[in-house]
Formats: sequence, C-alpha cells, structure tokens
Amino acid sequence: MTAFLCSVLLFLSVQLPAQNKTVSGRVTDQKDGAPLVATVTVKGTTIATTTGADGSFKMAVPADAKLLVITSVGYVQKEVDAIEDLQITLSAGDNSLSEVVVVGYGTKIKRDLTGSVAKVGAKELGNTPVTSFENALQGRAAGVQVEQQNGKLGQGIKVRVRGSASVTAGNEPLYVIDGIPVTTTNLSSNGAQTSPLADINTNDIESIEILKDASSAAIYGSRGSNGVVLITTKRGKAGRSKIDFGFYTGSQKPTRHVKFLDAKQYVDFLTQAAVGAGKYEYRLGYWDTEEEGIADYMDYVESRFTRYSAGNDDWKTAKVNTNWEKLAFQRAPITQYDLSMNGGNEKTTFYVGGQYLDQTGIALANSLKRYNFRLNVDQKVNGWLTVGANLSYARTLNHRVSNDNAFSTPLQMVALSPITPVIDPRTGLLSGASDPDRSGNPGGPNTNYPVYYNGLLNVDNAYYHTYSNRSIGNIYGQAQISKSLSFRTELGMDQLNQTEEAYYGPLTERNAGYPKGGGFTTGDQIFNYTTNNYLRFNKELDIHSFDIVGGMSYQESNWFTQRGDAEGFPGPAYKKLTSAGTKSDVRSGEQEYSFLSYFARANYKLQDKYLLALSGRFDASSRFGPNNRWGFFPAASLGWIVSDEKFLENSKTISFLKLKASYGLTGNAEISNYPWQNLWAGNGAYALIPGQIPFQLYNPDLKWETTASMDFGAEIGILNNRVSFELDYYIRNTTDLLLNMEVPGSSGYTSQLKNLGKLTNRGFEFTINSENIITRDFRWTTNINFGLNRNKITDLNGIELGVGEYNRAREGQPLGVFVAREFAGADPANGDALYIKNTKGADGKIDRSTTNDYNEAEEVVIGNPNPKFIYGMRNNLVYKNFELDIFLQGVQGNNIYASGGQYMSSSGSNGFDNQTVDQLAAWKKPGDITMVPEARLFWPNGTDASSRYLYNGSYLRVKQVTLAYNLPKTLMNKFKMDRVRIYARAQNLFTITKYKGWDPEVNADYQATNINQNVDFYSIPQARTIIFGVNIGL
Amino acid sequence: MKKFNAKIIVVIAFAAGTMTACTKELDRQSFNNVEEDVALGTSGGVEAALIGAYSRAGDDNVLGGGFGVISELLGGGDEIGWSGTYQGYTQIYNKAIPKNNGFAQDTWTESYEAINVANKVLANLDKVTEGKKASIEGQAKFLRAAIYFDLIRLYAKAWNDGSPASNDGVPLVLTPTDEITEANKVPRSKVAEVYAQVIKDLQDAESLLTIPSSLNFYACRTTASALLARVYLQQGKYDLAAEEANKVLTTGKNSLTATYMDAFPVDYDNSNKVVGNTTEDVLAMQVTASTGYNDFNTFFSPLGRGDIEVNEKYFDDYESDDQRLDAYYDDGSIYCGKFDMVYGAVHIIRLAEMYLIRAEANFREGTSLGAAPVDDINVIRARAGLSGLGSVTLDQILLERRHELAFEGHKLHDVKRLQTAVGTIPWNSPKLVLPIPERETKINPSLTQNEGY
Repeated sequence: MTAFLCSVLLFLSVQLPAQNKTVSGRVTDQKDGAPLVATVTVKGTTIATTTGADGSFKMAVPADAKLLVITSVGYVQKEVDAIEDLQITLSAGDNSLSEVVVVGYGTKIKRDLTGSVAKVGAKELGNTPVTSFENALQGRAAGVQVEQQNGKLGQGIKVRVRGSASVTAGNEPLYVIDGIPVTTTNLSSNGAQTSPLADINTNDIESIEILKDASSAAIYGSRGSNGVVLITTKRGKAGRSKIDFGFYTGSQKPTRHVKFLDAKQYVDFLTQAAVGAGKYEYRLGYWDTEEEGIADYMDYVESRFTRYSAGNDDWKTAKVNTNWEKLAFQRAPITQYDLSMNGGNEKTTFYVGGQYLDQTGIALANSLKRYNFRLNVDQKVNGWLTVGANLSYARTLNHRVSNDNAFSTPLQMVALSPITPVIDPRTGLLSGASDPDRSGNPGGPNTNYPVYYNGLLNVDNAYYHTYSNRSIGNIYGQAQISKSLSFRTELGMDQLNQTEEAYYGPLTERNAGYPKGGGFTTGDQIFNYTTNNYLRFNKELDIHSFDIVGGMSYQESNWFTQRGDAEGFPGPAYKKLTSAGTKSDVRSGEQEYSFLSYFARANYKLQDKYLLALSGRFDASSRFGPNNRWGFFPAASLGWIVSDEKFLENSKTISFLKLKASYGLTGNAEISNYPWQNLWAGNGAYALIPGQIPFQLYNPDLKWETTASMDFGAEIGILNNRVSFELDYYIRNTTDLLLNMEVPGSSGYTSQLKNLGKLTNRGFEFTINSENIITRDFRWTTNINFGLNRNKITDLNGIELGVGEYNRAREGQPLGVFVAREFAGADPANGDALYIKNTKGADGKIDRSTTNDYNEAEEVVIGNPNPKFIYGMRNNLVYKNFELDIFLQGVQGNNIYASGGQYMSSSGSNGFDNQTVDQLAAWKKPGDITMVPEARLFWPNGTDASSRYLYNGSYLRVKQVTLAYNLPKTLMNKFKMDRVRIYARAQNLFTITKYKGWDPEVNADYQATNINQNVDFYSIPQARTIIFGVNIGL
Repeated sequence: MKKFNAKIIVVIAFAAGTMTACTKELDRQSFNNVEEDVALGTSGGVEAALIGAYSRAGDDNVLGGGFGVISELLGGGDEIGWSGTYQGYTQIYNKAIPKNNGFAQDTWTESYEAINVANKVLANLDKVTEGKKASIEGQAKFLRAAIYFDLIRLYAKAWNDGSPASNDGVPLVLTPTDEITEANKVPRSKVAEVYAQVIKDLQDAESLLTIPSSLNFYACRTTASALLARVYLQQGKYDLAAEEANKVLTTGKNSLTATYMDAFPVDYDNSNKVVGNTTEDVLAMQVTASTGYNDFNTFFSPLGRGDIEVNEKYFDDYESDDQRLDAYYDDGSIYCGKFDMVYGAVHIIRLAEMYLIRAEANFREGTSLGAAPVDDINVIRARAGLSGLGSVTLDQILLERRHELAFEGHKLHDVKRLQTAVGTIPWNSPKLVLPIPERETKINPSLTQNEGY
C-alpha cells in the first residue's frame, strides 16, 4: 500500500511533458448533418478525446501526430490527417465492428478482438422491471445462462457462462465494476440466498461485457474460469448538460397458478385415502377384516375433518372452500423514479444519477425499496494527466419471506385444507391464532389446527427485514508518459454493510417455537479494496501495430459478522431484542482473503489483418496453502481478417470475415477462506460450558482449479454488414477440481476439500444481428443468440456427490443430474407404486421388470437439470415515432424435479396436505391403469424420490414486449425538451411450457448449490409485470 | 529530456515498489478457528474437546433424543400414531424404510462425528494434567460406549438374534481421523466385537471415574455402572445387570423424585425455561436455548411438532389411579406430556430404570441382590401412587417397566430383548433394523448391507 501511495505522489510531482500541436474539428452524420458523439484517437497511441454534444472536439497532440482515428457507434470508422478545423462526416453502417469493447484493463475495437466477448448495452438493460441487473441479462448474450431461483425479491440468481466449470467451488462469474472486482458474498441468514448485486442500479450501467473464453478472461487469471462480467457505468460527455428523468409504474402477478382440490374434492379424496389405508392395512394383516380397518380409518379421518373444519361439521357440506394457493400472493405494484444529469466541458465531465425503486413482491408480505445515487467525474488536470472518481451509494430495504422449506413461506399454505376457514368462527381470529381450550395455555395459538402452521399469521406477527448500505467507488489517475506509453493507477473499494432483523411474535409459536416471541439480528460488514496499476504501450510501426498492457493488482477483503438471538418479550408490542427476557445466543466472526497478481497482455497486428494476442497472469491467494500458493495463467489467440485479403476484397456478399482461435488457462479460487488449514472450532459448548470440536481436515497442497479452454470462432458480415454472424465453438477442460470429496461417515467427517477430478464443457454459440429493413420511416432489426453447452464430469475419483439428494455429481454425467428410482405408475392389480428394477443381471442385462419394493429397484439417472440449449431473440421495429420491441427467451431440454410433489401430489398418501387436482386420477380398483398410485392415508405410496416427480423444464417465454412512442421533435422544441418517450412494457408476458408446477424457471432456494439445480419445492413463481413509463430528456 | 527521465524514474520506482510490497499479505490466519496443534496443545484444550464430545453426543440424532425417537417409532405399533410431515420418520414408523432414509443417514454421521471427538480426546491424554487424566479418559470412553451401544442396537441384528459373533455390527473406529485414506473405509465389526468394546469402555470408565460429591451432569462412575446394567440386561446377562444396577442404587448419589411428574418438570407459564437434571437423572443431556437438542420435545410434545400421538388403546393395561397417567393429556389428540419443555434436559437414564433392571434381573436369577424384586417394584409403584404388591411375576415387572419408562426410547430394544413383536412384525424381523445408509455403502463398499435392504 505504501509503495502504491508513494508512486501516486511521485506521479503528481512529474511535470507537464512537451506537446505542441492542437487538432480540432467537428464530426457529423453524412446523411443529415446531425452532430455525432465520437471518439477521436491519435493513431497508434492512447491519446484520445470525445466530441461534445455539438460534435466538436479540440485537443493537444504531439507535434509528430499524423493521423486521427474517428469512431462512433453505428458508423464506419474513419482516419483523417491530424490538423485543425476538420469537418468530418461519418456514414452509417458497419454497426458493430467499430464498436469499442471493454476488456480487462483496457478497451479494444470489436474488429480487432481475438477473444470471445459478449456485450449488452444500456438500451437493452434500461428500465427492465427487475430487482437485480443480472436478470436483465437473461437471454441477451449467447452462452450466458441466467436463472432466478424464484419470484421473491432480491433472491439469488444463477449465472453460468459456458456451463458450470466447477463442482464445489464457485460457478458464478467474476463481477468487475469500473475495473474493481466487487463483493458477491451471499449474506442472507434465512437459508435462502440473496443477490448482493441487487444493490446496483441497472440504469447507471452503460454496458456489460462478458468475457467468455480464456483469451479474454485469462487476464483475470485465477478467477477467470467462470467468465468475467465487466460492468461499465455511465460517464459524462462534454457539451450541453443534459437532464434525464424516468418514471414507470405498474403491477406484478405470478406467471402461473397451480390448481388444488376444492373443499368437496378434498373431503372425498381424503376419505378415499382413508378407505385405501384401511384396505392396505388389512392386506398387511393388521386387521381381521377389511371393514374393521376401513372403519378405524373413517373414524380417524372424520375426526380430523372436523378438526380442520374449525371443530364443526361444515366439511360435510363444503360450506367453507378456501383457496389457500391464491392467499399466498398479494397485489404487487412496482414504481421506479430515475433522475440523472451529465455534461461537462473539455476538461471536466460528470455524470450524476439517482434512483428510487419501490417494489412490492408477489409473495405475501414481500417488498423492497432501494435508493441509489452515483457520481462519476473525470478531470483533465493538464495535458498529460487525467484523474477521476466514481462513487455510488445504495440503500436497500428488503422485507423478506421465509425460505421455501419453512411452514411460514407463503406458498406452503397450499398444504392447508380447503375446508379450513381463514377466520376461525370460534374465535373470530385467523385460524391458528388462538385455541381457547389449549391445555396449559388457554387462548394460546393452536398447536394442531389447521393441519400445519397458517402462514397468514406471519403477515402481522413476524417480519424479516434486511437493510443494506453499499458504497462502491474508485479513484484513478491516468498519465500519458510519452506518445505511446501511458500509466493508469486505480484504487477502488466496495463496502457492504448489512443488517438483518427478524421478529417472530407469540402467535407464530407453532412455526417459530417462541411462546413469548423471539427474534434475531445480524450485522455484516465487508470491506473489499483493490488497487490496479498498469502501463499501456501503444505503437504503430509501418505495418506493425502493438498494444501492450502490463501491471499488478492487489485485492483484500475483510468480512466481519455478528448475530444475536433473544426470546421472550413482556408483551407482543415489544419487538426489539433489548426487551427480550432471554438473550439466547450471540456470535461474532471475522474472515479475510487476499489476492496478489501480476499480469501482462500483448496485442500485435500485422498489416491490419493478422492479429495475435498473448496474455499471462501470475496469481497468488491467501486461500491456498504455502505448498501451492502461486499459479500462472497464460493465453494466446490468433485472428485473421480474411475479408481484407485480395481474394475477398471485392466480394459483393461477404463484407467482413474474421477467423479466430484461442487457447489458454484460467483458474477458480471461489472457495471458503482458510480451506487448507487443520482447524478446530470453538462452537462445541455443552450446557453453556465452552467446548471445541474438529472443524476441517488438513490439506496443505490445496491449489487452484484450472480450466484449459479452446475457442474457434468466426465473424461474418454480409450485405455491407447489414447481417452479421458470430460463431464460436469451444472446449473447456477443468482439472484439479476443488472438490468437497465425500468421505465415509465413520471417519467423523462427511467431506473434505481436495483437488480431485475433471470435467468438460463443450459448446457452440452463435449470434445473428440483422437489419432486415431500413427505410426512412421504418426500421426492423433482429438479434438472435443461441448457446448450446454439453457439460460432463469425466473424473470424480470414483465417488459420487449428493447421494441421498435428487441432484448428483456423478462420473460420466453432467453436473447435477437427477438420480432416483424409475417410476412406473400404479400396479393395476393393487394400486401399489411400481418402480422399474433397473438391476443388472448376471448376464449384464438390465432388468426392466417392475417391483413394488422401492429398495429392490436401482436408482438411475432420470434427468438433467442442464439445458441442451438456451436462446434469445429480439425483434425491434421502429415506425416513425413508434417503437415495438419483442424479446423472446427460451431454455430447452432440461428437467425439473418437483420435490414438493411428495407432499402436494402424493396421491393423498402422505397426510392431510391438500393435493394438486391431478391426484384425483389415483388408482381405485383392480384393472385401473394410472400413473397415480392408490390413495392411502399415511401410507406413503410412491412418494420417495423417483421419476414420478420429474418434468420437462423447457420453456419459451415472451420475456419482454415494449411499445413506445417518442413525442414529435416539433412538439419537443416548443417545450424546450430533448425528448419525451412514453412506453408500456410487459415482462414475462407469457410462457409456453409443459411443466405442471408454477414456473419452470425455478430452484428451491433453501437447497440451491452448484449441484442442486432445478428443484421445485413450494417456490414462489416468477412475476409477470406490466409497467407504464415515461422518459423525459431536457 | 530531463522531464522524460523523471517519468521513467517514477515508473521504475512504482514497479519496484509493487513487486515487493504485498507478498506477506498472503499469509492469513483464521480468526474464528484454531489449528489443531494449538487447539489440543494444552490440558485445557483437551478438556475443552471433551466438552465438545458431550456437545456432539447431544446432537439431535444422537443422544439429543434421536436415538430414542427412532426406538419408539421403529418399535411403535398401534399404541401410537404418527402424523408428522418428516417422511423419513413416517417410513421408520411404517417399517418400510428406503436405504436412503435421511434419519438413518444423519444418525450414522452425527454419531461417528461424536465418536471422533471422543477419540481425539483419548489420543491426546498425554497433554492432560495428571490429576485430571483419569476423569477425562473415563468420560470420553463413556460417551464413546454410549453411542456405540445405540448404533449396534439400531443398525445390526439384536444380541439375542442368532450368533452375535458372526452377525455384522457397525464399523468400530477407536482412533481419531487425521487424514482420509483407504484405511478410513472401515468394514463392519461383528456384533459381539462391538458389544465387547462397549463393555470394555464402560468398565474402564467405571474404574477411572469417581462418584462426585454433588450432583452434576457429567458422566461419573454411577453413570457407567448404570449403562453397563442396561448393556448386560440387553445381553440377558442378568447377574451382571443386577450387580451393576445395585451399584447405582447403593451409592445414594441419585434419588427418586417425590412424584412421577416431578421427574419431568414442566412450567407451562414459562415453557422456554431451561430445565436441568432432577435428582433422578443418572444421565441426561443438557439443553439450553443455544446448546443442545431435545428431539423428544420436538416430536412428542404439541409444543414442538406434536407428530406422535398416543392412542386410547395404549392405556388399556393401566390401573385407573396410576399417577403416571398424569403424563398424558388430550389436546385434540392424546399427547405424552413428559417432554413439554423445549429446553428440558433429555433423560437418558433415570434411577427408576435401575430399580426395574435390578428387579427383573434378580427375578430371573432367583436372587435378591440389594433388594427382593417385589420390594423394588413396590418402590416404583408407591411413587406412582399405587398400592404395594405382595408378590410379583415377571409379567408384572415388565408391565411396570413399560408404564414407568414409556416413550423414553426403550421400546424397540425391549421388543427385541423380550422377543415380542411390533404389531404383526416379529422381534427379529429385518424390518426392525435400520439400513446401513446408502451413501455410506456407496462411499465405503466394504460395508455390507443389512438383510432386507
């Protein structure tokens, strides 16, 4: 650190270098003369400026500067002589090739890229009614899979770039905002992940670049294996200051509902289940006659009906018919306000933005409020030194709901009986709130009515609030040491403070276990700072062009955490832990990690058409033992712009053709801190006497997980680049997997983190951008992206991870395959659940006959949570002032395991849970052919893990439809406004899927891991949102 | 030219500075945890590890109630009803257990976790202050024996079912785990070998431990004798069982509470109060709001999940003025109210059991060691508010035992010991033995699976 500060100070003391020539001019559109925002660069150097709002520029350049390169998004790049008073016109077309793409520690022109980088711009991301920006990325980039666990606000989001590269270590990409890696640690303590990136204001983002292959990601070395997401925030532009105001409001609803039995169906079906149980027990020899067994069960089930019908006979007439599924959801408005300003002059530019988001979730009692602001400033101190700062602050208040596995989570209310009234007529209170006859505690909450805890009690008697304050900022200095050499230093920090406060009142006793109320509070503080210091050398010598970057980076992160639990309040009005009689638990902890890195990258271009890039990074981390602390991650790539060769130069069809290939190594270090040490933990207290227990086994050799990636790609432009294609084929081989190896339980441990095993991802991606029609009044463009990935674990050292769960990591299979018995429906003879044996006979043949003995059947791979391919398609139509944008997104060829089925679709064999209507097809009499086994109350019939609950998870979603109208220019001029745009937008408008549950984009939040994917367990579905908005530019 | 040089110097200074600045920043020590050599480097450390062994032994699926709940559910017939939503227990109650049953798995792993802590303590006795060594060793051995005794009764054929010398037991791990190798794939020892180890550990504990002058909740000589009495009873070694039970009863360390319900203190006005041992608890696992588990409370008490109900027919053979009936109440269904305190200590061995063991063992042996069987039974009856008997039969002793120890985790083991049945399922049915967890047989192929799975 000291060395770094010294170097900065030294820098500031350096004097102005010699620059003795001024260039100036104005850049306009060739067609209509409109001023353009363009970048003006001295060719072969990094000396550059941006034009102002009127298209003009002026800058000091070295005396020997000859050529200026003018680039602007959507226009053909141009080179002009470096003189004064230039009048430069650019012609439209050749859209993407001249686009500037952010890469690690620098930028590149898209044409010169040899790696695979996907870019998503502000236009596609802005004003998407989602809580976290990753969501807005869904379907936007080829090979980038985005999946939100459920429809709870701020909830965990899974992002996979070219498949999963790890089994145990992190599989999420590295997120870098304006050059600084940001904290993505999940700080939720209710068992369901939240996304810390929900603190970022999507409307502050200028662009997101996703580094996909090794050639682009290896510069991030040990953390590049899962791809790198580079987020660049908006900056000011010189010229007239602009003010942008945005507002939208709308409402959200669940994408889909699921139908459960109504009161009459419930009584009939559970009665059928009672008869089934009586008969079954007779079959087992528990009763002398079948009648006896049935009579016993009928008595039981009728007494329970009366109990769940609030102690009366209403169940006999279906007088009460409560739809608990509907009650799990609420009216869910969403409103967002944005205000930003940007502008500046030649020396100073600024961007100031602020946002307020007020979102009510579709899940009962779920809501989120977020306040943001950002200030980005750049200052040219003198002719050679530029300094700047970015600072953002966010405060987020999230009123969360319980995880999917809690009785109190809204959707578990579907288990309650439709014969149970919402209000208990005996007390006039919510069902479950009070039992006048409760022994020991008359008037206390009911202990066995309704059948389970009533989640509605949580709304007014419990809360779970998360408050987070987040500051992300950095300062930088950039110095032009000589014409071709510049130096940039950055110091960034990301401070995340989060407090959670949970309260469970006395009426929630049955769920929370606190007769007199209880709760907890947590506090987390993560301070993460990074410094990047690097030199950039840029030189053109005749036909040779060099662009070299080299430097170092150091990151350190410290996480302090605390928690206090207390219970027993003097009365229900007291809710803060201070008032609790018993302070039951208190904890604090701290952990940290550091990364030290040296990196370099050299780009060489010959004759402007032969491209070579070499990069390498040395990385060390505190997470690894001294035996294997350092890793080296090199990459190389080649590109050939074939269309610049003589034989293609005059082609009418092919306007651009680039072939590229890359190979390189990246690493993965996303594991816990101190994983190699031989540790004991002090949490072995007994009867409040301190004690210690083993924590983890020793592994001093623990090292990086390494992924070797190969990428072959082509970029093709036809018809003057009106249609462009990008194709990529890749192979990614991961070795030395950081694996939580399962060990025999008799060792006293269940797992140990080791470098063991291998996996591969192979895939194919393409992107098509087409300008279908461009006329004066009408413009129609189409973008399509497609990503196919095949994941396979090739070596796990003979072990299997996740045994006992639905998803497994198994050799020879994709990560997370569903392994269970193969279900074969109901035995036509007796209604037993049947399974296919799948046992291997002596002759090596698989026995496909069926058995009603679950244990006799072998578990087999029944499905795959990984999609075969994912895709997105956007059609944008502009007619005069109207714009229609239709965006489709889809996932194909994956499975969902609906593990809630064991309760809600159990053919009434697992207790009094209400059932989905499809269970009415249960087996009734010999000869019935059905996939639903006989209903037998409390004799689980086919509810163990099997393909009975496996579904096709493919879906095609109308992800976003926007209809917008820009008010005419003439009107705008009258009101002295730049632009007014009004729009209506629908998110998740509708979904085509065969899935029988709520929504196919799902993963039960309490169990989500790398391996555990696509499991549905009372998960709140995604929201369908319709908003109306306006954007006003002044 | 001079200015240019200045910049070069800065760059060099910078590069040199950063290249050497930070390498020491890569050495990070855990704040929350400590290295094993430090943790176990002192006598105090090993003593703290022993406390850790108690805490693991008190885990929910071990002595924190899990062993007992499985015994009651697997050994439970139509005198109880299960209406819970934990499918794993539904399967156990139904005696239709898949190999991947979650409770079979968790009981296994949590038990061995506790055993490993005990083994760590035993392997580091050399660090312990001389005056404390015997006590530390005795307690660690006691805990290890207590857990193995439940494992062997749940995961293997009963002692009296065929030949214990050839029936597979459970893996016998007696050394701590320092690294994972092939050697950790330990096969199952025989039933007789596991019993022999349990007895040896308990005999060691009996000789190493003393009888404390005041009541506490750690294992002591009395506790070891009491568990030995239970082990010998399970084996049908009645003379030894009577002898060990008699040791417990003659020390005077424990005494019966005045009434039956006093042995299960409840305070409904303050149901989250911590309740420790009564005078009658020879061994109880302690529970507080922040440490320990009480799975009896979780599953039997309506203040917990209330998943286990008691059926009317269970009360058929009670005398109407039996005060032990006070332990049951109707709250829509009939519940056993012995475990209504969520932070109540988990009763593992009550003194009443020692009277019953001595009575039964003396009766079967025709001896009167310590007291005549009828006198022991009358002590128990008197405390339950019942009149004394003039003489007793074995059936009367066993009936008294059933009533006295009901739902405290003895059910399955008594069915096997007494060779009765659970409903129509005979005592030696493979259905009354847990499967070796599927996860374990896959990771450690040397483990054989139990019959019927």
